[in-house]
Amino acid sequence: MTTTVGIRSKEGVVLAADKRASKGFFVGSKVVQKIFALDGTTAVAIAGAMSDAEYLVNLAKAERRLLALRRGYPLSVKESAKLISNIVYSSMKSYNPFYVELVVAGVDGEGAHVYTSDMSGAITSEDFMSSGSGSPIAYGVLEQGFRKEFTLDEAKKLAEAAVRAAMERDPGSGNGVDVLAIPNSHAYGEAN
Amino acid sequence: MAAEMNRMPFFYNQEGRLVQVDYALQAVSRGSTTIGIKTNDFALLSSQVKPTRPLMEPAEKVFVVDDHIGATGSGYIGDVTTLLDQLRVAAQRHRVVYDEPIDIGTLSRNLSEYLHEFTMYAVRPFGASVILAGIDHLGVQLVQVDPSGTTFKGSAFAIGQASDDALETIVKGYRPDLSVEEALALATQAVEGVNGGKSVIEHGVVTSTSKKFEHQNLAHAVA
Repeated sequence: MTTTVGIRSKEGVVLAADKRASKGFFVGSKVVQKIFALDGTTAVAIAGAMSDAEYLVNLAKAERRLLALRRGYPLSVKESAKLISNIVYSSMKSYNPFYVELVVAGVDGEGAHVYTSDMSGAITSEDFMSSGSGSPIAYGVLEQGFRKEFTLDEAKKLAEAAVRAAMERDPGSGNGVDVLAIPNSHAYGEAN
Repeated sequence: MAAEMNRMPFFYNQEGRLVQVDYALQAVSRGSTTIGIKTNDFALLSSQVKPTRPLMEPAEKVFVVDDHIGATGSGYIGDVTTLLDQLRVAAQRHRVVYDEPIDIGTLSRNLSEYLHEFTMYAVRPFGASVILAGIDHLGVQLVQVDPSGTTFKGSAFAIGQASDDALETIVKGYRPDLSVEEALALATQAVEGVNGGKSVIEHGVVTSTSKKFEHQNLAHAVA
C-alpha cells in the first residue's frame, strides 16, 4: 500500500507521501505520517509495515547520532542509506525481515541525493524514486514530468502531482499528500 | 591469611576496604584538574587539557553525550572515553525505546551500575571519574560518578589533580546567581590556581534556555 516519492533537484531534495494507512480492505487511518526527518539534513519516506518502518527509522536516528558524535562529523546521505540497508539486510538474512520499502533523501556536502532501500537491503540511487503500491502510477508522472534543471519548487510540484495521480487509481493510497523539502543550504547544519 | 588477601586484591581487606577501588580513586586524583559548576540557569564543565606540546593538537576533554547532556572526566583518558561511549549508547538507546531524550538521573544510574559491576569481580575497576552536566524535566543537573559507582549530585565538583584546592577556590567564589561568564572565569581561576598559571582549558555549557550542551570557547567568554 502507500505511495511515496523522492526527487532530487539542483537546489535540494523533496519527499512526498500520501496519508492512508490500510488494514486490508479497510482504511485504518486517514492522517498517518509517512515522512520522518532523521535530522535537518536527511529524511525517510516509509511504505510497508508501519511498525517495522518506524522502528527502523528510530534505530537509524540513534545509530546516525552515535556515529556522528563518535567521529565528529555527520553522515552523508549515502552513508545513511547504507546504514539502513545494512540493518534491513542482516534482518532478512536471519529470517526476520523488515516489511518495508524506504525512500531515503537528503542533502550533504556533495549536494542532494535520493536512495531507495527495499526489504532485501538493496539500495539504488536515481534522480527520482518512488515506492509503495502506487509507485507504478507515480513513476508514470515522474518519467513524463522530471527535468534535471528543476528548482526546488518545481520538484515539490511534480512530487505532489505524482502522489496525487497514484491516489486517483491506487486503492492503497489516498487521503491527502504530505510534502517535505530539504534545501541544499541545510547540509551539515542542524537546522530545524 | 594476610598472604591470601594479597592474592585476592579484589576482595575486602581486613579493614573492610576494597583496595582496588581505592587505587582507582587514586588514579583519578592523578588526572588533570576537572571542574563542574551548576546554577539554576546553567551547568558548566571545565577540564584542563594536558600534556600540551608544540605541533600537537590538544586532546578533547569535554564531550557531547546527547543534545542536552555533556560529560567530562579525569583519570586514565582511555577509561574516560570508554565510559563516555557507554553514556552515548545509553542516551541513544533511551531515544529508540521511549522516543524521548534521556534524563540525567537515568543516565547517571546507568553509568553507576556499569562502574559498580567492575567492583564485584576480579577485574580492574575504571580509573576514571566522570562529571555529567545536563538538563531534563527536573531542571539543570550536575552529577559526579566515581569508579566505585558512587553518584553525587550538587552545585560544584572538582576531580583530578589538586581537586581539593580547586574546589576550595570554587566554594569561595560560588554564588547561586553566577553568570556563565563569571562561572567560566571562576573555573579557569580554580584550574590555573592549582596548576601554576596559564593552562589550556576546555569548557562546555548547557543552559536552561538553549537546552543544548555546547563547547564554549574562552575568547567568547572573556569578551
